Amino acid sequence: MKYLELSDVAARDMARAFDASPNPYTMLTTDFCYVGVNQAYLDVVGRERDDLIGRNLFDLFDGGGQGDQARENARQLRASFERVLLTGEPDHLALIHYPIEITDADGRTRIEDRYWSATHTPIRDVDGQVAYILQHTTDITELQNLRKRVMGDRDKATVTDLLSSNVMARAEHLQTDNLRLQSERNRLLDIFMQAPGFIAVLTGPDFVFQMHNEAYAELTGHRSLNGKPVVEALPEIVAQGFLDLLKQVRETGDAFEGHAMPVQLGTGPDGALRTRYLDFVYQPLRDGQGDVAGVFVQGHDVTDVVEAGNRQKLMIDELNHRVKNTLATVQSIAMQTARTHAEPETFAEGFQARLMSLSHTHNLLTRTHWEGAELADILTHETEAHGSMRILPNGPVVSLDPAQALSLGMIFHELATNAAKHGALQSGDGRVLVDWSIQDATVSLVWREIDGPPVVASEHRGFGSRLIERNVRHDLAGQSRFDYAPDGLIFSLTFPLERTAS
Amino acid sequence: MSIPGLEGRTVFVVEDESLVAMLLETMLEDMGCTVFGTAARIEDALEMIAGDARPDAALLDVNVAGQTVYPVAEALDRKGVPLVFSTGYGQGGLAEGWEGRPTVQKPYTEAMIRDALMRVLDIKNA
Repeated sequence: MKYLELSDVAARDMARAFDASPNPYTMLTTDFCYVGVNQAYLDVVGRERDDLIGRNLFDLFDGGGQGDQARENARQLRASFERVLLTGEPDHLALIHYPIEITDADGRTRIEDRYWSATHTPIRDVDGQVAYILQHTTDITELQNLRKRVMGDRDKATVTDLLSSNVMARAEHLQTDNLRLQSERNRLLDIFMQAPGFIAVLTGPDFVFQMHNEAYAELTGHRSLNGKPVVEALPEIVAQGFLDLLKQVRETGDAFEGHAMPVQLGTGPDGALRTRYLDFVYQPLRDGQGDVAGVFVQGHDVTDVVEAGNRQKLMIDELNHRVKNTLATVQSIAMQTARTHAEPETFAEGFQARLMSLSHTHNLLTRTHWEGAELADILTHETEAHGSMRILPNGPVVSLDPAQALSLGMIFHELATNAAKHGALQSGDGRVLVDWSIQDATVSLVWREIDGPPVVASEHRGFGSRLIERNVRHDLAGQSRFDYAPDGLIFSLTFPLERTAS
Repeated sequence: MSIPGLEGRTVFVVEDESLVAMLLETMLEDMGCTVFGTAARIEDALEMIAGDARPDAALLDVNVAGQTVYPVAEALDRKGVPLVFSTGYGQGGLAEGWEGRPTVQKPYTEAMIRDALMRVLDIKNA
């Protein structure tokens, strides 16, 4: 609105015209204090100019006392003013019930029921800011009373009466509708702003942000969006194809739905890109002619769901891998055991013993959630069936990873089984000394059988010794040696504690 | 029992579980194949096939001591060595770019290994 510069004379003329107008006018500040009133207004409210200027309207006219109805009346009037301040547009109150305090000739005051119809117009200053509200109000109490009388006694109604009653009824309906729409709009706006999903409205060929809610601000890292085209507001999404999608929606008029679509937004520290997964829709908004005028963006951040799904898939894959590998290991034990045991009974015995050995190490590992196990624990577990006093462990604490633990479990099992069949654990007196140490992250271990029957070197290398040798070389990346000394077997083993990172 | 066509073929094995590796070696020897070598780690595997070394075929476990076998698979692919993957992950166990390659799922039988090798070596059933 262009501000009109007035000469002194013109301003005086305007003020005189304002004062002389038969229509009641008042001008209020933005905090609703009187700055100007004309005579018609003073007449209609029954006050003197000096009673009003500088005072707050609501202090003087409270809507008719202290009751709920009075408060509601005042609220409606205040809401109309506030709409003017918020929107900068005129606001109309077709009908408002607003009793006022009247001072009679004898000086006594009373509350008089009044009905009004009012228009509130913003008056801007040079900078275009709303500086005043101009109220044009008409006392329509007589019309309203007439209408009530007509409604109460139809027989006496004249055509004019009926007409005005209809006009009044329409005005009242309109006002009720306006208020209802207004509060509905506010409620929708509230829902829009507070919705857990993100919402934004983009218009024009450049997709300019018209509005967006809190969730959208959160998603995009609280930057300034409104009034900016997408390219400027969210530059990082252009190369990711989202601008093309918006254009496609605008050109075709068909909505686009994205499911768990990844988008990289610069919301990390120092604007670093972070991936979010979104379920969303680009809904075309059409104007009165049916053309696409904008795009309504609505959706949910489903990053947590997608990531949880990915973690679950990884865990299932890992579980599957372990189970299938264990099955293959068991299959291997079965096949290799079968090759060295012709009789079903001895096969079953050997197979089960190896299976139990594997299971023991699994138990140990389960205790630490598969983080690892200690060498001494594995030795004890795998050999306790042969009597706790006969195998004598001696060495420092050595923590092994799960693969090393499983491997050593099998090695100790094969050594103990072999000692029970052919070595020191056959007779009651034999014992096994197991000594180990760590130096330069390398474990050196010696299994020494003593006090057993005289040693006869094994003629053929059975599955047991092949398994030991393979385990050491393959799984432990170490070296081993069997010495069949006359006093008893000496098995030496060295392996690196940490496998060299590859 | 030796299988005509497979006899004398050299097969490279990459498998981190020693027992499973032993099983495979036993199966391969039973078929009449020669084990070109067995690697339990990716770096060892790459070393064993460096230079002119060229097996007739390779059996590759997909997950090797927490790593994937694809660097080895790529090196062998460049040499034109036919590959069979073994995996516990099932059908969808191969990474992008390797889908549809011959795969045996653990645990496998000797017949499964034999059929897979004959297919990649293009040997017709006698």
